Amino acid sequence: MMPATPSTFRRWQARLFSTPLQGAITLVILAALTVAAVPLIRWALINATWQGTTRADCVPGGACWVFVKARFLQFMVGFYPEAERWRAGLWALLAALALIALIKAPAKHRGSVALGVVVLLPSLGIWLLAGGYGLKPVETRDWGGLMLTMFISIHAAFIAIPLGILLALGRQSKLPVIRLISILFIEFWRGVPIIAVIFLASLLLPLIMPSGVGVDRLARAIIGLGLVIAAYMAEAVRGGLQALPSGQAEAATALGLGYWRATRLIILPQALRISLPAMTNEFIALIKNTTLVLVVSILDLLGVAQASIADPNWVGMSMEAFAFSGALYWLICFAISRWSLATEASLARATER
Amino acid sequence: MKKTTLTLLALAGMAAAPAMAQTLAPSPTLDAIKARGSLECGVHLGLPGFSFANDKGEWTGLDVDYCKALAAAILGDANKVKFTPTSVQQRWPILQSGQVDLLSRNTTITFSRNASLGINFQGINFYEGQTFIVRKSANVKAAKDLDGASVCVAAGSTEEKNAADWFRERSMKVTITNFQKNDDAIAAYDAGRCDAYTAGIGALAGQRAKLKVPGDHIILAEPISNDPQGPVTRYGDERYQAVVRWVLNGMIAAEALGVTSKNVDDMKANSKNAEVRRLLGAEGNFGAMLGLSNDWMYNAIKQVGNYAESYDRTVGKDSALKIERGQNQLWTKGGLLFTPPFQ
Repeated sequence: MMPATPSTFRRWQARLFSTPLQGAITLVILAALTVAAVPLIRWALINATWQGTTRADCVPGGACWVFVKARFLQFMVGFYPEAERWRAGLWALLAALALIALIKAPAKHRGSVALGVVVLLPSLGIWLLAGGYGLKPVETRDWGGLMLTMFISIHAAFIAIPLGILLALGRQSKLPVIRLISILFIEFWRGVPIIAVIFLASLLLPLIMPSGVGVDRLARAIIGLGLVIAAYMAEAVRGGLQALPSGQAEAATALGLGYWRATRLIILPQALRISLPAMTNEFIALIKNTTLVLVVSILDLLGVAQASIADPNWVGMSMEAFAFSGALYWLICFAISRWSLATEASLARATER
Repeated sequence: MKKTTLTLLALAGMAAAPAMAQTLAPSPTLDAIKARGSLECGVHLGLPGFSFANDKGEWTGLDVDYCKALAAAILGDANKVKFTPTSVQQRWPILQSGQVDLLSRNTTITFSRNASLGINFQGINFYEGQTFIVRKSANVKAAKDLDGASVCVAAGSTEEKNAADWFRERSMKVTITNFQKNDDAIAAYDAGRCDAYTAGIGALAGQRAKLKVPGDHIILAEPISNDPQGPVTRYGDERYQAVVRWVLNGMIAAEALGVTSKNVDDMKANSKNAEVRRLLGAEGNFGAMLGLSNDWMYNAIKQVGNYAESYDRTVGKDSALKIERGQNQLWTKGGLLFTPPFQ
């Protein structure tokens, strides 16, 4: 597309150089982008090494993606035993199908699909990954990589979203005891740093629990994360509840609907629609917060990256390891925010109708 | 009458001693390890040569090898060990709360840690210390030859302070050039802006491998600081602590006595050296005295190797790090590694 048609040219000119000041700003931004992007592209793509199997194949001056290639499965599933890796793959497929079902389900059935996913995915998934009942047991300490990051995110969200909705409703409740408990819970978990919660769950709990009674370290971390995010989710949902005109609840009551039916049919669908962007924010924050589990010996995507750069046969690969894992995190979070935007748009269309 | 009873009791005691069992001190940790069928070992999350996951996802390294040897001694199988990677903040609580049986993770032995954290250090498996990396062409053999040289360091680091103090104490004229970060300092050294760069031996070995031509540089063997490292257990359970201590001693003794993973069978069958025979369980019942099987050290050496084999493979001449033995050489060869006798 070298010779731009005059109209295209003029359109861009109008957008970028309509006034001298705007033109100057455009030029400055372009220059800054070039300064930042050119060395990056040169390092990551032009001077990069793609072919080979060992560090000796790496050409100095650029990224050595051979390292990521050699360690790719470790980045994906951690130290999951080689013979059992198909289970991790199957789990990923299962999780993806569940999420697609959740997104594509017609609004009428979305509730029951969600319930099914929340019940089936954890039970099937944990059986698949942990083993037992016919499958070879794999300890959670061997789980890792992207699989573990997604596992923690999904299950912490399964705790956080329902609990958060209940807490938000509890905070609006007319019953003082329920309201008080909800407020105390939310304020407590919102006030504690996540890293402290994970640390306490992983280190203090075993000290105070009788020896022999052990809850898996991963489960403790997920529950800890889930409880903190639930408090944030509750505040996101509360925003939606408060934005709803009180006439909605009153009208529902006037129609003879009880509290639960009114909440389920009238209040929540509208409130959740309003709080969807805020809830997506919390979920993206959750995904990034999962990296904190590194401090308690759980090797998620970032942990695997850190452990793998210590291999003396692959010294000096930290840029590659962190660039690759960073790109994966970005891809996931970007995909979620796009999905959220699309959902908002389709919900908005539904309201207009 | 009373005297006879006592004599009889004493006789009975002497008879029972070799048969052990009754005379063993209780060891809940050893019992738990045996019941579990695996040793729980806390290692570093990733330290080149000492503990890291290789391409196949297996834990490897000098500190890892020690845990494998301990598992072989207690359970007869070097693979019956499970590794928990631990962060700096988490290492003490995870040991104190009993989630691991020991730490083998590049931790400096100090008085205050021993006295205040409820932990014991069970020997030294690596003499770490701050030293210098220099170009081979500079013809520097030890830190005292650095008079008039320039050293690149990261500003405000412990290494900067140590080096400055050390040179001042000896009234040596050394130019210390400060950089923002360690990476900048080593890059400047590589670019030829300084004659030396300083850090711990293990860290320097990792850094050297990243230089443009690693072979052009040597790490001075004699350190200017003292940071010995070794396996750590919590207070209590003396018999288990003795096992941890003597498996490390046994690996060092095996090197001193010339026992390797290759010749261990031959040595067990044919050696005339009484200490070798006791170490390998061909004579006496040393394993049984600790409540282990008599071939405890035989298993450890056969499956993991003696100290030298482990060192060379993980951090020494056969590894990518190529750290000289230096202080981590036997006392008979000019190093500091020493073990009390197996008597």
